[in-house]
Amino acid sequence: MNTQFAIFVFLALATLIGAASVALSRNIFWSAMGLLSCLVGVGGLYVMLSADFVAITQLLVYIGGVLVLILFAIMLTSQIQEISVSNRSVGLVGGYLIFFVVSTLLSFVALWAPWRLTSKEPVANTTVALGDGLLGTWLLPFEIASVLLVATLVGAIVIARKEVKSDS
Amino acid sequence: MTITQFNIASASWFRPELALTAGILLLFLLDVLVRKQSRYRVAVLTVAALACVGVAAALLAFQPVESRAMFNGMIASDPFATFWKWLFLGAAALTVLIAARSDEFPSPRIGVFYALLLSVVLGMFLMATSLDLLMLYLAIEMVSLPSYAIAGYKPGDRRAAEASLKYVIYGGVASGIMLFGLSYIYGLVGSTNLTALGVRLESLAAPASAGGQLGLRVALMVAVIFVLCGIGYKIAAVPWHMWCPDVYEGAPTPFVAFLSVGPKAAGFALAVRVFYSFLASGGGPEGFARGLADVPWPAVVGVLSAVTMTLGNLSALHQNNLKRLLAYSSISHAGYALMGLAAASQLGVQSVMIYMLVYLVMNLGAFLAVIAIAQATGSETIADCNGLSRRHPLLAVTFAVFLFSLTGLPPLAGFVGKWYLFVAVLSHYAGDGGAWYVTLAVIAALNTAISLYYYVRIIRAMFIEAPAGELVVRPRVSYQIMLGTFSAALLLFGVWWNPLIEWTQASLTFLTRG
Amino acid sequence: MPHLTLSHFLVVSALLFGFGVLAVVTRRNAVAVLMGIELILNAANLNLVAFGRYVAGGISGQVFGLFVIVLAAAEAAVGLAIILAIYQMVRNIDTSQATTLKE
Repeated sequence: MNTQFAIFVFLALATLIGAASVALSRNIFWSAMGLLSCLVGVGGLYVMLSADFVAITQLLVYIGGVLVLILFAIMLTSQIQEISVSNRSVGLVGGYLIFFVVSTLLSFVALWAPWRLTSKEPVANTTVALGDGLLGTWLLPFEIASVLLVATLVGAIVIARKEVKSDS
Repeated sequence: MTITQFNIASASWFRPELALTAGILLLFLLDVLVRKQSRYRVAVLTVAALACVGVAAALLAFQPVESRAMFNGMIASDPFATFWKWLFLGAAALTVLIAARSDEFPSPRIGVFYALLLSVVLGMFLMATSLDLLMLYLAIEMVSLPSYAIAGYKPGDRRAAEASLKYVIYGGVASGIMLFGLSYIYGLVGSTNLTALGVRLESLAAPASAGGQLGLRVALMVAVIFVLCGIGYKIAAVPWHMWCPDVYEGAPTPFVAFLSVGPKAAGFALAVRVFYSFLASGGGPEGFARGLADVPWPAVVGVLSAVTMTLGNLSALHQNNLKRLLAYSSISHAGYALMGLAAASQLGVQSVMIYMLVYLVMNLGAFLAVIAIAQATGSETIADCNGLSRRHPLLAVTFAVFLFSLTGLPPLAGFVGKWYLFVAVLSHYAGDGGAWYVTLAVIAALNTAISLYYYVRIIRAMFIEAPAGELVVRPRVSYQIMLGTFSAALLLFGVWWNPLIEWTQASLTFLTRG
Repeated sequence: MPHLTLSHFLVVSALLFGFGVLAVVTRRNAVAVLMGIELILNAANLNLVAFGRYVAGGISGQVFGLFVIVLAAAEAAVGLAIILAIYQMVRNIDTSQATTLKE
């Protein structure tokens, strides 16, 4: 049990230090590295929650996909000084204030809300169970997600590709 | 029945959605197959898109009307959902018709636009029918993600691209926060199914200790407020409205017209289903008033409503760009419609339904007029309306009808919509917190007066100002027909509103908690 | 050392959510804000999987988590596509300026 808790603390620290550097580092590249550490940490926490398939997906999709996309974006936009999002009035102090209020409130909820714990053992072979579930109980979301992915990716390609100048 | 048999049986109540899905794929295919240089390209794609909407509508018309849960409790089929589906299909068909003759979609891109539009419609169908937290989140993303892409659709327009970036970022934050709220709901009840939600929440409160009670209250408050963030973003209520003016200004106008009515209506449908039937104690809209976590939620919604309409209207006052003006006006209309939710009664739900139906026609009409003006003048400011009554009387008169209807003046349908919202709110005047409801109604009345000011600015420009230069305004024939039909409909239902009442009354039954 | 419970995971996710919100409200760079959104989504996802393990039992939390990961990837793809579009426009402007200078 003790080693388990030690691993948890390690993963939690990796997650939170990574997250902190995303939020606080002024160097966008370090932020991306922080995100990497955070995503790996969360993946490790999934393993501790006996969700091994989700952990693998986290590694493949998030780190192999999303993070690479973000690194691309960083390298491309490093030439443009800033693609900024205006309408932002909250300064750094306001940001810290929001951070402390939100995380205190949520930690309070985490510790005090009457979560009704189950006595069920975790599912041992999650891959089989997930495969059955996605084609059974969760068939509709599964199919809808595939339509959504097609639509979104085609949309993304259309706006990102160079304009074909053949509009007659 | 096994799970698979249940899924197969559900498919027969799912035909309109299947038709839409087939339509999306068909349009993607056609977009590639029809040659880019073809003269008939836009016509072929438009007919295909309209055919898909038509088939979905026909299947919807022949669908048996009974309340049932489908796909293992993922979505519902009930009269309430059917009402919204008709509204969404109507908005989609009109948007296709408007986009077909617009200059803002170059023909190489229009096929993908139609396909994305239909996938947004499919998402809205799911928003109005979700019975499961997972489905609800998926549906909202299904509406959002293609919308982000369409918002940045204008090639080579940097401001449009930045507006759509802003849209993605605000949308991502809102849906992320909403997801966090949903995760707490899931944690509290141990199930993603909405039909099980209310009962389990009540059983949860009883045995908890004093500390647990407080924890439960805070957890529920956080969860509901976070979920409100997601819904507030979809209906563009203050304080989640910041994306609205920029996106409306940058995105292609036909899509903006759709965006201002479709996803907003879907957001209201979702809000009614979640807050009235499942989070309400005892079921039904009245249960909402009794308070989850001892918070008077109708009061919260009432404050949101007042703030939204006031801020929307005040910001609209000094806008000179017609699209930005209509953006703020659409924010204020979300505020009016929230009054119906604050009323927390069957009548309130019905008034929201009536309002959204009328708002669909008048707002699409107003945007159509803006498109017609922009096609003639090349820009879309109030000054472009100068002397429009002399250049093209039909356009000027119909635009005036839409604006008066948006204000809520009789004898137009906008008046009927607003009237029912006021009735829903004022029916509480003798009950608990009656003074607050009266205050809300007074604020709404004042706001109507404010909104008259900026709507009349446009009308003044059209009818009193002298036209600048010799500009020929000739809207497309299809636009003229639509402008005429929309304003005729607003006039007709402004004096003969029984059909609206009967239809919404019949659609009030929805699947409640199990 | 204490026994590992649900609350441990929830506190980590609460802090993760806090950092996400902090990144969203203070960072001005659009890519950094997108990263903040990923933090928020990860916090929610950690909640879902933890609740699935400790409260609901079964796999419903994990299924929800899988869908969230997929949607987050799609959202990031759209975000990047828009950034790419902006980048192309800016670059086009830059190169055209360069050619006018040469003439």
